[in-house]
This record gives sequence, structure tokens and C-alpha cells, in this order.
Amino acid sequence: MYSAFNGLIVGIFYALMALGLSLILGLNGVINFAHGTFMALGGYLAFTIEPYVGFWGSLILAPFGAVVLGLLVERILIRPLYGRDPLFSLLLTFGLAMIMEDLIRTIWGSVGQPFALPNYLNTPLSASLFFLTGYRLVLIAITILVTGALFAVLRYTRIGIRIRAGNADLETISAMGVNIFFLRAANFGIGIFLAGLAGILAAGQLGLSPSIGSSLIMPSFVAIIVGGVGSLIGSVLGGLIIGIASGITAAFFPVAQEVVIYVIMAVVLVLRPRGLLGQEGLFE
Amino acid sequence: MSAVLEIDGVHTYYGKSHILHGVSLKVEEGELVALLGRNGAGKTTTMRSVMSLTPPKAGSVKLFGRDLTRASPHKIAVSGVGYVPEGRKIFGHMSVHENLQVPPEISGPWNIETVYELFPRLYERRASKGGRLSGGEQEMLAIARALLLNPKLLILDEPSQGLAPVIVQEVMRTIARMKKEGMSVLLVEQNAMLALQLADRAYVLADGEMVYSGDAATLKADKARMESLAGVSHAA
Ligand SMILES: Nc1ncnc2c1ncn2[C@@H]1O[C@H](COP(=O)(O)OP(=O)(O)OP(=O)(O)O)[C@@H](O)[C@H]1O
Ligand SMILES: [Mg+2]
Repeated sequence: MYSAFNGLIVGIFYALMALGLSLILGLNGVINFAHGTFMALGGYLAFTIEPYVGFWGSLILAPFGAVVLGLLVERILIRPLYGRDPLFSLLLTFGLAMIMEDLIRTIWGSVGQPFALPNYLNTPLSASLFFLTGYRLVLIAITILVTGALFAVLRYTRIGIRIRAGNADLETISAMGVNIFFLRAANFGIGIFLAGLAGILAAGQLGLSPSIGSSLIMPSFVAIIVGGVGSLIGSVLGGLIIGIASGITAAFFPVAQEVVIYVIMAVVLVLRPRGLLGQEGLFE
Repeated sequence: MSAVLEIDGVHTYYGKSHILHGVSLKVEEGELVALLGRNGAGKTTTMRSVMSLTPPKAGSVKLFGRDLTRASPHKIAVSGVGYVPEGRKIFGHMSVHENLQVPPEISGPWNIETVYELFPRLYERRASKGGRLSGGEQEMLAIARALLLNPKLLILDEPSQGLAPVIVQEVMRTIARMKKEGMSVLLVEQNAMLALQLADRAYVLADGEMVYSGDAATLKADKARMESLAGVSHAA
């Protein structure tokens, strides 16, 4: 129970990351290897501004900081590669990830930084619920809220409807008068927002290190594959499943806690190559 | 009269294959122009060149007096072009109502309410997924979606394709009504007889080159040419 819960918390980070990666893969057609470093950036920005704006202030502001940088990257580096072989953007974001990680090392140092949480969030709720801190509740609540808001936007707003339509047929929405340059930028921004948010939430739980992003990105890709490429709900589900599985494994057989993620992926791919919710149509 | 669309010497390629060899075409204000030609003649490619979905390598596309060659498709659309693509390209996983929320609404007589009035069937089916509609309903949805831009020029690529004759007549009546309300129309058809019922003028494409341009009535009277066009339209 306790280890499953630990796993759930990590699974939340995977889920938020996988959600953003999925969005960006769907509409922008980019496998964003730099997603993890945007996540780390969110955490470090929060770390830097927390002394001035407090924990809650940093939680709200830092993701937008990551978004600003994300939008610049999209506009300057990624946009020229749209419509080309996906290999180009993959290589670009791969290189970008290394550069950004080194920049983070240069700016904030290569040793980890503790991310100070308000005391009232950091104490366990009770002795029997020793693993349940206020922070973990906040983390779960924020994730539910943000994910719910994202799905509502995709379902009910014009921009969300266009993102869904564009996922299916980008060319046709542009011929219908939709500015796909703007739409792709907005979608990229939403994905980076989720990464930045995951970074701050993870910083409070796991602490900060320059490689926090690169250690979380591979499991997040696995989450997409397990959940089914093209399904956002699948990405969330995949993230939670591999998080919980690796949490439980960590308690009983610690050396296998990372391997288990890939074992799950292999099993899913053999039994159900399209992933758990793949092909069921987007967002259903 | 001034031209709403003027295509001049357009050359278009798919990768290395050269499809359009200097195509020129004009649609004057208020006119209904038919673009005919057999299977694979290059009709759709001509429309894709206008919309800049497959931008031409050479030549120019002028819309409403402005040079919009190779402009972004959305700029071309909002400049006043309603495009009903070949195969309709409905978003099959989204409801009718959601499909209608994709294009930006440009003010004018057409909005979601008035297109529902035009096609009451779409209103009845507004909650159905686009992929569940019949071919005729999908065609209506594609036309409705184009009308939301309140276009000055309506481009339809084979609207009759795969539809039952009654439905085809209904679609043709709608197109005639748009013309009557002052819209210019470019109608692409393999079915020459059908298009010539409505058209003022017609062009015929063959292998990426314009082989006829002139009065619709003159073309209709040209037995030899009509036969060569009709041969495929019935097979298709
Ligand atoms: N995406 C593509 N890539 C390569 N060649 C293409 C592509 N689309 C069409 N073509 C070729 O271009 C030529 C013209 O095709 P186009 O679709 O414009 O013809 P069409 O007149 O619209 O025919 P139809 O009446 O069948 O719709 C054809 O020879 C076709 O094979
Ligand atoms: Mg065609």
C-alpha cells in the first residue's frame, strides 16, 4: 500500500510528462526529447523565485517561465522543421536537451538542490498515514485539476476542438482558415506548461538535480507506448501504471525497479501492440 | 467585371513529378465556372495549388486582385475562399457541431445557426460523429463548414462523388442558390453534364494542361469533346 502510493506519486510525474509529450507528438509531429529539460527548468525556476514569491507563487509562475522559453524554442528552432522528416526535429530536440541540461548545470550547479516546502505541507498527516503528507495531497489535487481542465479545454473550447481536428488532419484545418502556426505554438506551449508544472511538483518531492528531466523522460515515453500512441487518456493511464508498478517493485525487489517499466512495455507490446487505449480514436 | 480568381501559368509538382504544366484559369465575380477533366487530369492539383496546399513552383494565383501565390492556406481561406475538398475531409471522430466550430467565423450572413437552417438535416444530426454521416450529409457538412467563412468564392471539388442522384440534385440546388446570392463558384467535376447544367463557363484539363476554355453552352454542344469527357464520368 505504502509503496504503491509512492509509485503513484512518481506515476503522476510520468503522466503529466507523457500528456505533454503526447500533445506535442500529435499536433506538432515532434518527438520532444527536450521535454525533460523543460521539466527541470520549471523546477529550477520555481527554486529561484520561491524566496520572493513563496511556494504557491512559484507554483503558479514558474510553469509560465518554462512556457515562454518553450515558445521561443518552438518559434525559432522547431517551426522551420515542420513538414520535414520527423528525424530532424528528433535530432534537434535531442541536442537541445543536452545543451539545456548543461546550461542548468552552469547556472544552478551540478549538485542537487533541496526545494524547500512550507512546513505545514511537509509533515505527515498522522502516524498511521506516515507516507501521506499535505504536499502529496496538494500534488494529487493539482494534477487532477490541471488534467481535468486540459480535457475540458480540448472538449469544449474552439482551440481545443481545433487541436483535435488538427491531430486528425492538419492540412484540412488550414484550408478551413485555421492559423496552424498559431495553433501548433499554442499546443506546444500547453505541453511545456505541463512539463514545467511536473518539474515544480517533482522538485518538492524528489529534490532538484540537473538530470531530473532526463531520468524521467524515458519512462514518460514508455508511458505513451503502454497507454497507446494517440490517446491522451492512455498516456495518463500508462504513466500511473508504470509508476505504481515500479513503486511496488522498489519495495520488494529494488534492483528491478527500473527494469520493470520496460518489462511492462514489452508485455503490452506483445499482447496488445497498439497499447492499452491506442486506436480507440483520439481523446475518447 | 473583375476577376475573383486568376490562375496564371501555374506549374505544380508532387515531389519530382511535374503535374500541372502552365495552367491558367479565371473566375469573374458572380460567375459559376466548371473545371472538367478525366480521372487524374490535374483538377484537384489545380485546387490544391490555389489553396497553397501544394504550392505551385511557378506561375501566380491572384485572389480578389491580390497575389496570394504560395501564401499560407489559412490566409487564402480567410481572404474569402470557401473550400470543399475532394472526399469532403470531414473530421470523422468529432460531432457535426464540433466540425462546424473548426473554421473561424467571419461575419456575414452565414453562421452556425443559418447553416443549420440551410441544412436542417445537419441540425438533427448535430451530436452525431462526422464519420457516422451518410455521404450526402457529409457533403452538406463540408459545404456548411466552408460557408462559415462567408466566402466570396466557393470552390467545390467533385461534390457529386459517390452520392445518390437525388442527393446530387439537392447539392446542385444549393450551389445554384449560392451563385444566386452573389457568390462566385468554381465547380470541379468529372461529371461534365452535371456541372454544365449550372456553369456559365467551363475549362477542360487533360494531363495537366488546359485543353478547352469557353462557354458552357458551346462545350455542351461539342459532341466529340463531351463524349471524351463522359466516357469516364459514367465509369467513375
Ligand atoms: N499526392 C500525390 N503524389 C503524387 N502524385 C499525385 C498525388 N496526388 C495526385 N497525383 C497525381 O497527379 C495527377 C493529377 O491528379 P489529380 O488528383 O489532380 O487529378 P484529378 O483531375 O483531380 O482526378 P480525379 O478526377 O480522379 O479526382 C495524377 O496523375 C495523380 O496520379
Ligand atoms: Mg480530383
